[in-house]
Amino acid sequence: MIELRRLTKRHGEVRAVDDLSFDVRPGIVTGFLGPNGAGKTTTMRLILGLDAPTGGTATIRGRRYADLPVPMREVGALLEARAVHPRRRVRDHLLYLAQSNGIPRRRVEEVLGLVGLSPAAGRRAGGLSLGMGQRLGIAAALLGDPGVLIFDEPVNGLDPEGVVWVRTLMRDLAAEGRTVLVSSHLMGETALTADHLVIIGRGRLLADTGLAEFVRANSRDTVVVRTPEAPELAHRLREAGAAVRREPEDTLTVTGAESAVIAKVAMTHGIVLHELTPHRTSLEEAYMELTRGSVEFGASGSGGLGASGGLGASGGGGR
Amino acid sequence: MSVSSASLPAGAPSTPSAASMAVSWAAVLRSEWTKLRTLRSTWYLPTGAFVAALGYGYLFGTSNGRAHLAAAADERALFDPMESAFRGLVLVQLLVNALGVLAVTSEYAAGTMPASATAVPRRGRLLAGKAAVVAALVLPCGPLLALGSFLVSQAALAAQGAPSGALTDPGVPGAIAGAGLYLTLISLYGVATGFLIRRTAGAVSLGTFLLLLPAMAPLLPEWPARMLVTYWPSSAGLRLFAPAPAPDALPPSAAFVLLAGTALALSLAAFARFRARDV
Repeated sequence: MIELRRLTKRHGEVRAVDDLSFDVRPGIVTGFLGPNGAGKTTTMRLILGLDAPTGGTATIRGRRYADLPVPMREVGALLEARAVHPRRRVRDHLLYLAQSNGIPRRRVEEVLGLVGLSPAAGRRAGGLSLGMGQRLGIAAALLGDPGVLIFDEPVNGLDPEGVVWVRTLMRDLAAEGRTVLVSSHLMGETALTADHLVIIGRGRLLADTGLAEFVRANSRDTVVVRTPEAPELAHRLREAGAAVRREPEDTLTVTGAESAVIAKVAMTHGIVLHELTPHRTSLEEAYMELTRGSVEFGASGSGGLGASGGLGASGGGGR
Repeated sequence: MSVSSASLPAGAPSTPSAASMAVSWAAVLRSEWTKLRTLRSTWYLPTGAFVAALGYGYLFGTSNGRAHLAAAADERALFDPMESAFRGLVLVQLLVNALGVLAVTSEYAAGTMPASATAVPRRGRLLAGKAAVVAALVLPCGPLLALGSFLVSQAALAAQGAPSGALTDPGVPGAIAGAGLYLTLISLYGVATGFLIRRTAGAVSLGTFLLLLPAMAPLLPEWPARMLVTYWPSSAGLRLFAPAPAPDALPPSAAFVLLAGTALALSLAAFARFRARDV
């Protein structure tokens, strides 16, 4: 269990993390999403006590990270996968980490086996591929067999086989009752792993919701219609109660009316249709819409955020 | 490959026995020692220091021996073979300082400091552990470097037919021990400046500048020059391995207090900065 309460980190005028409150619960994979620069890594560094918060708290089972007696036995973290000395051997990198927390030497060999790096144990870390470096970082996080795991973009640089492996590992770790927090900037990848989503933008909480709930709240059906008489059809459809957006080149995007209804309206008024395509809003699109306001500097974002009304977003507005 | 975490041994996350123990000093020291010994640079620098100590001992001994040959009789009477004995250590100390710097800055350069600070969140313990293993490595090397410098320089003097000292001469064993102490404290300067500056090049350059600053004394007016030579730590510290007392210099005990006090002050500054800053 990780608990964040009004966690804030300012770098001068910039609020990297802004009044962030959420819980990460055990037994499930929590996907931590946001565009690049949203403050995901800073949040993780705050949880791990690497950065000092400007305000608020981050605790792990009720204690600040710095107060954990044997931290690696309770929390395992992968921040930067390439954070190994290039001229140190793979095994030695894990050995000094293990020794610092009184973890026996044989555990080093175990985690090497677990991530498939046993054959590379004697190699210098600088010679590892990006994917192998990522596996080494995951091995380090698993050293203390911790109940809480924090992974920052763990699939970066992995080949497809590695991506599947990480996905399975995350799910297995959660199934064992561990608390698993995994950051990503990709919705598609996260949707395949996470049970719960925490989405932030510009350091602020945008959504704290179950994956299924997010899908339900955000899947809206639209129909793309092409017709030479676009203005006329738009008018008729609006009369019929649908929402219509004019697109370039005789195209309309219609919400609130199924294809059959649109076809019928067109036929009634003698309008020729050149295209009629149902379209389901993808998770990625819903995510993009949610975070748009925090990507484009100066955008009001209120239009995009309107869709998140049912998501339990609680950006800490209650000051 | 389908390695699942089902093969993780300890089933329950965080067993009670694990929670009852804390990250001990012994664990931090063991970890820091592994960090230090598993990097080649840790071994290149002491090796280089020995080569430099013997090499400079030979060069200073030979050159002073020649100077003795060329000198007039009244100058010869003033000739002190101890002048050559440890002079090379003034340059050797730069390598020892760099060893201390690298123990810290290699972590910043490789990006492993966050992992280290996550493993040992008590920053004071992490810093003290690093300082301790560096000191433990340099402490036995220091007297050996001094001994090598002494033996080679005196042999070189003898080879030129100049007077030379023996290990059993008064003050010589004490000077060798003092040199070991001096070099150990210099390695701690390196550790402290490593934490303060975080960059290898910056910390090594600053260390070199500060350690060699007393060499600038001849360029200064008399009073500041005298203050610099007497009280600047790396100059006052030379009294620790001077076989004979000098009338206008600090006594070795005061020099030690000054040198150790500076090392402590720098380490405390490094600790304050390391604790306050984001890693």
